[in-house]
Amino acid sequence: MKKGINYSLIGMFLLTSLLFVNALQAEEAKITVLNPLGQPPPIALVPMAPRLGTLDGKTIYIVDVGFTDTHQFLVEMQKVLAERYPKANWIVRTKIGTYFEDDPKLWAEIKEKGNGMIMAVGH
Amino acid sequence: MFEDLVKTTAYKKGMPHQRFTFVPHPVWGKPASVHREYIEGKDPITGKPVMQEIIEALTKPLTDEEKKTGFLERTEPRIVGPDTPENLQQLFLKNGWTDGLPIVLPTEKKVAEMLKKTSHRPDKLVGKMRPSPPHEAWEYTVEKVAINAVMAGAKPEYFPVILAIASTGITSLFSSTTSFARMVVVNGPICDQIGMNSGMGAMGPFNHANATIGRAWTLISRNLSGGGTLGETYLGSQGNNLSYNNVCFAENEARNPWKPFHIQKGFKPEQSVVSIFTGWGITHSFGSAKKEFHQQISSLLGSFCPYSSGTSVAGALVLVDPLVAKDLKEVEGFDTKEKLSEWLYKNTLMTVEDYWNSGLVSTFTLPQAQLGVEPFASWLKLPKDALIPRFLSPKEINIIVVGGETNAFWQAGDFRYIGSASVDAWK
Repeated sequence: MKKGINYSLIGMFLLTSLLFVNALQAEEAKITVLNPLGQPPPIALVPMAPRLGTLDGKTIYIVDVGFTDTHQFLVEMQKVLAERYPKANWIVRTKIGTYFEDDPKLWAEIKEKGNGMIMAVGH
Repeated sequence: MFEDLVKTTAYKKGMPHQRFTFVPHPVWGKPASVHREYIEGKDPITGKPVMQEIIEALTKPLTDEEKKTGFLERTEPRIVGPDTPENLQQLFLKNGWTDGLPIVLPTEKKVAEMLKKTSHRPDKLVGKMRPSPPHEAWEYTVEKVAINAVMAGAKPEYFPVILAIASTGITSLFSSTTSFARMVVVNGPICDQIGMNSGMGAMGPFNHANATIGRAWTLISRNLSGGGTLGETYLGSQGNNLSYNNVCFAENEARNPWKPFHIQKGFKPEQSVVSIFTGWGITHSFGSAKKEFHQQISSLLGSFCPYSSGTSVAGALVLVDPLVAKDLKEVEGFDTKEKLSEWLYKNTLMTVEDYWNSGLVSTFTLPQAQLGVEPFASWLKLPKDALIPRFLSPKEINIIVVGGETNAFWQAGDFRYIGSASVDAWK
């Protein structure tokens, strides 16, 4: 009888040890690594310009950034807008250089003479 | 087509609520009648009439969200995990932090080993990189480059070369709908020191250093600049298979009968240097009926794009096996690379009509001509059948010697030289 009890105890001890080792191995299998991402700059929020209550009497620039065939597309847009909203003045202008380049003179003109702007890329 | 690009670009420029309208794609190449249909039709994304959206964008009062100011910070935790290696592999893949292939997980121990091969501090700023000019530039440190070098499977002794590439701030995944590729050529003693291949199979998948250094640049370009996100920071319609490894190899200086490339660019023979090129593809000229190598090369270069923008010009890179280089020098009389470049520049011509009809020329070069920039302004006045050089100068045609002399083979690509960086500075 004593021997039978001893074997049960030994068996329970071995089973418990085995479960403990398995659990330990499962925990050890988890690792940490380093994040590979670089640092993007903070984003400065730019509030949108106030909208126009009406288009009547307003001058709206339609700016072509210079991508191939964008100009033809925007000329058609100007025609449609002028047909539907004849009380507004719709002006198509092409920005200088390629579509990557700035055009401070054009922006200054739009600020001075325009009330709004549409800028488009026809790809 | 470009909804994600437009919205994420506006967000990153601080205008998450910028008002947009889309028309069907493409606009390029369509007649005016189709453009009108687009304008009078519906926005393919929202389904609303394009005209209605344009007018509402101009006149509808701003919401409180659209009026907001302030800053949005974007930081990531330094540590990822803990999790099992298998789960971390899946996380890296899912997050777009890989090139689609399994990576070496960047544990702190592995990164520390990589960092031992540079004298620079882990927190030293290496550079800034952006996917293309309109996109924001991200910053990255020595440690961040080391993390990506580990991921690529690079050995620590390769690290100064990888740092040199990263220091250029040039992405290998340039965002253009045309699917650019990059190339990196290594010169100097470092090549033998780390076991790079410049001989047989140098441009193929046969060498650990060539493979992992080139791969590291791809991972750096994805992770350290926010690049490579399809539809947002990568728009290549087909993509470019060269981007897996960026054609990374060492020039065969031992069998080069001319000056190595880095010496041509002003470096000393004992200096180790990486040189970066950009283009679209590489091809051969087996179809040429010309007998001499220099004429074959000119024939192939005659099909390359001749564009010139305000910031870059078309170029060509000729990759010659040492057998070809020897022949060009000893039989065909080009005793320097520069003389060959000069001959190719003078003899690879095209008509003015073909020049101005080239798509990229009309987009990038015509605006310069119209602003009076030479020689383009003068070329506008030439008769259609006048001949002009395809490349702007001999400097745009570069020659690299690579190969193992099993075949008198050469290739050429429309790759122009961007710049070089010192490897020694990063040891």
